[in-house]
Amino acid sequence: MYWLTWRQHRAQVLATTGLLVVLGALLLASALDATRYLAEHVVAGCPGPAEQCRAVNAALTQRYGLVYQAVLGILPLLGPALVGAFWGAPLIGREFERGTNKLAWTQSVSVRRWLGVKVGLLAVLVVAAGLALSAMVGAWLSVFDDVVGPAFSNAGLFNLVGVAAAAWWLFAFTLGVAVSTIVRRTLAAMAVTFAVIALVFPVMVFARDAYAEPLRASYTEYQAILDQGAILTGNVWTDTSGREIADPPSALCPPAPGEADTEAGQRKRDSCLAGQGYLATVEYHPASRFWRFQWTQAAILAVSTALLGAVAFSWTLRRRQ
Amino acid sequence: MTARTNASGLGPAALEAVNLSKRYGSNQALLDCTLTIPAGRVAALVGPNGSGKTTFLHLVVGLLEPTSGEIAVFGDTVGRDAQALTSVAFLAQDKPLYRNFRVREMLRFGRDLNPRWNGELARQRLDELEIPLDRKVGRLSGGQQTQVALTLALAKQPSLLVLDEPLADLDPLARHDVTRHLMAAVAETGLTVLLSSHVVPDLADTCDWLVVLNRGRLQVSGDIDELLASHHLLVGPADGADAVAAEQQVVTRHTVGRQASLLVRGSAPAAGPDWTTRPVELEELVLTYLRDPAATALQPAMCQN
Repeated sequence: MYWLTWRQHRAQVLATTGLLVVLGALLLASALDATRYLAEHVVAGCPGPAEQCRAVNAALTQRYGLVYQAVLGILPLLGPALVGAFWGAPLIGREFERGTNKLAWTQSVSVRRWLGVKVGLLAVLVVAAGLALSAMVGAWLSVFDDVVGPAFSNAGLFNLVGVAAAAWWLFAFTLGVAVSTIVRRTLAAMAVTFAVIALVFPVMVFARDAYAEPLRASYTEYQAILDQGAILTGNVWTDTSGREIADPPSALCPPAPGEADTEAGQRKRDSCLAGQGYLATVEYHPASRFWRFQWTQAAILAVSTALLGAVAFSWTLRRRQ
Repeated sequence: MTARTNASGLGPAALEAVNLSKRYGSNQALLDCTLTIPAGRVAALVGPNGSGKTTFLHLVVGLLEPTSGEIAVFGDTVGRDAQALTSVAFLAQDKPLYRNFRVREMLRFGRDLNPRWNGELARQRLDELEIPLDRKVGRLSGGQQTQVALTLALAKQPSLLVLDEPLADLDPLARHDVTRHLMAAVAETGLTVLLSSHVVPDLADTCDWLVVLNRGRLQVSGDIDELLASHHLLVGPADGADAVAAEQQVVTRHTVGRQASLLVRGSAPAAGPDWTTRPVELEELVLTYLRDPAATALQPAMCQN
């Protein structure tokens, strides 16, 4: 069974390995380039938020943006879609399409074992590939830490580092297998898998805010919180007794003429309102929640994966031809 | 299912189906089939297109699950006992193989997935057939692909070999070759064969057991020689047919003009002087039964009453 699994799926394994190697080389080149730039442009305390770092920061951001826009921006979504379509969907779809299920399932190996070994073995490889990707992206990101901040607040990068990529890839692979057991056509299964991932991914990104109760801070710390790489989830007003309200009474602290829409006018009004006991607060998830959020998302995806796996197995074992 | 012994009392029957039914939605593909095929037979499964042949064979090899009833191969219930998979080999109608595998890799596939695999036998067969092991399966001719598929099935060393229309899509020469190799394997190993076909003349020389399926119902199951010996065609005047029919076990009855012909069962039927009695041929027997779906001839007698 091990040989058969390898023989039937080696194209996917080799292609994925090849793509990861190419991506790794790209990231390595980018990281080396950035490191060399830093070594040649030593400015005390840079990179960092200080004023004298502007040139260094810009150079690093430019190098970061190059790679991010070329591959990493689309990879969080494209990766799972490709894994689901090319690793998952053909596993059953191609057998039904060519009638070879009638050959494979009438050997001395039970369908349960046939599917178990194939799915199990490929799942291990998919997880390993996902972890390898995350390790590479994580290492590359660490070079740019001081200019772009942690990956936490970037929904795309968040799904490329830690355990997120592995969880997504495993979910997508199992989804592809489950869909192909039902539709029994490779191409149709690929399309459905693509569509489901394109639908689920944004839902998961939006669901992220709900993984924990957000923290609150005064609106005056807004910029500082943002700089620390937190996820901002909203802002609320509280009145004199600390209750949440939609807006402070408009009669209070009217803006000076001509200042209503300016930042200075806004700040003036905020401090006036604060003097009256009305506080603007921001709700946010601090970057320190990175791993908590990583594992929460991974757990949700893992449970979905298990359900899809159960669907794939029970559907295949039903022997309804 | 308990293993019942066959007529000769030598271990379990090669195949035993009890009240086997299969329904797809509202389509009743197979209804209440009960039959036994003794070990060592070469059984022909015949019936018109859509009569449930492929459904029956897929139930035998475990690709399908019966809606009701049970089926056992050498006493092992299909779908429950893992042993049933090991003792049966199947050649599906479209002879599926992995087209992008080399022939050598197809053999590796067989070796890895079957504990009783006989690689020596496989290589020897392909060598005799001059099928190169390095060739991709997709580049072989249709006849060669059938031979590779048959080689895989035989090298599995099954006790029961199930073939779905093995000769369809083959030219006469390849047809002859496949039949010859199949019969040689039967003679060497004594394995039981169950093959489906809609070409009856091909079967007379190779098969010794006949199963007729018609519209999902089992019509005939029995030893071909016994079936032929126990059926006779009586031809005589139509106006005397009722009297003759009353004394005989009539399977079917046809009247053309003033002449009636009766297919009757039983040894040496006696009719009046106006009547001629003659034996039937296999094809005639099959066609007569197929024209009259209500008629049945099932053997052994315990099968259905």
